[in-house]
Amino acid sequence: MMVKKSNVPDGPMLPGLSLDQIVTVLAEKFTVVRDASDQWGLTLVAPAEKLRDIMRFLRDEPTLQFAMLLDVVGVDYLAYPGHRGERYAVLYPMKSLTFRHRVTIKVTVDEDACVVPSIHELFRSADWAERETWDQYGIIFAGHPNLKRLLNHHEFVGHPLRKDYPCQKRQKLSINDQMLDQLEARLRARGYTILDHGESHAGTPITDASSVPSLGTVKAGDKL
Amino acid sequence: MTYKNVPAAPAAPEIDLGSSFVTTRLDAVVNWGRRNSLWPFPFGTACCAIEFMGVVSSVFDVSRFGAELVRFSPRQADLMIIAGTVTYKQAPVLRRIYEQMCEPRWVIAAGACASSGGFYDCYCTVPGVDEIIPVDIYIAGCPPRPEAFLEAIVQLQNKIDKESIREQKTVGI
Repeated sequence: MMVKKSNVPDGPMLPGLSLDQIVTVLAEKFTVVRDASDQWGLTLVAPAEKLRDIMRFLRDEPTLQFAMLLDVVGVDYLAYPGHRGERYAVLYPMKSLTFRHRVTIKVTVDEDACVVPSIHELFRSADWAERETWDQYGIIFAGHPNLKRLLNHHEFVGHPLRKDYPCQKRQKLSINDQMLDQLEARLRARGYTILDHGESHAGTPITDASSVPSLGTVKAGDKL
Repeated sequence: MTYKNVPAAPAAPEIDLGSSFVTTRLDAVVNWGRRNSLWPFPFGTACCAIEFMGVVSSVFDVSRFGAELVRFSPRQADLMIIAGTVTYKQAPVLRRIYEQMCEPRWVIAAGACASSGGFYDCYCTVPGVDEIIPVDIYIAGCPPRPEAFLEAIVQLQNKIDKESIREQKTVGI
């Protein structure tokens, strides 16, 4: 029986560095500040322009090995009690699969530009997580290859988890979009050619059989 | 041969023709067939769908009411059971599937979410599927007990009994 090789290390997790030691290792190379509001774990506020370097360092540094990006979390501090500074923040909670330590990187986001660099090239899990954060908070992830809504529908206007969005404001959807762009991209990456899209996307309900792309070169039995 | 559920024929001069046929109203026969062989299409989106699995399984056994033949194609079903939360992103899909069902067709909104949106009073949840399609029976509960599902099917059967093939069932949707 073939067993797929996992990138999860064999054996028990090692103790790893303490929170203070992680701060020391990072502070040697980057200007990071420990976030005092995180009372339970370790959150480090980092400058946005250094985000990619920091994430790569966290992942590749042998004493850290933060191989797993757990989430990309948006925060809207509008009307947050006692908050000073930028309105938005993006948090990147990370976990090491080798060591028993965790860290969260926090980047503050300017309300006007509302942009942070995308890290989808470093962590594949960031792809959809960044799309979700864009969808819900309107924070742009510069360099993301497909920054479109993930949870809300394509006719939705606004970003519902912003504190100034009226949370009970409902928005109806008339027609679903195709939602096949990623599937088609995956097929193209495997050498398939998509011959025909059927009718145009606009105005075509998703359940209309004639609008399903005909995948002319896909052979029976192929695993997509 | 006697049929238990067929209402007696209206008073009319009886001729003794043996037991080779029964006389009744056409509506009574059609409704008798419809009510006792509902084919459910489960539009299960959340935990209420798990309860519906219990309804179909042997302990509660919806087969006793003739509605055990669950179909996963709307073209082979006449009873849509919406069991779970429906979002606005999903609403066009629900509407489309309803439109694909042949008439006559009925809809049961099972549980708080399908009936009213439940506690999801927010930007993304449809506050009751009757905003999208017509609903015949609502079931309370979060989730409803399987007995409540059975009660809803019995209530729907009673409702079908009052229908007539001469009336157009489709309302403007």
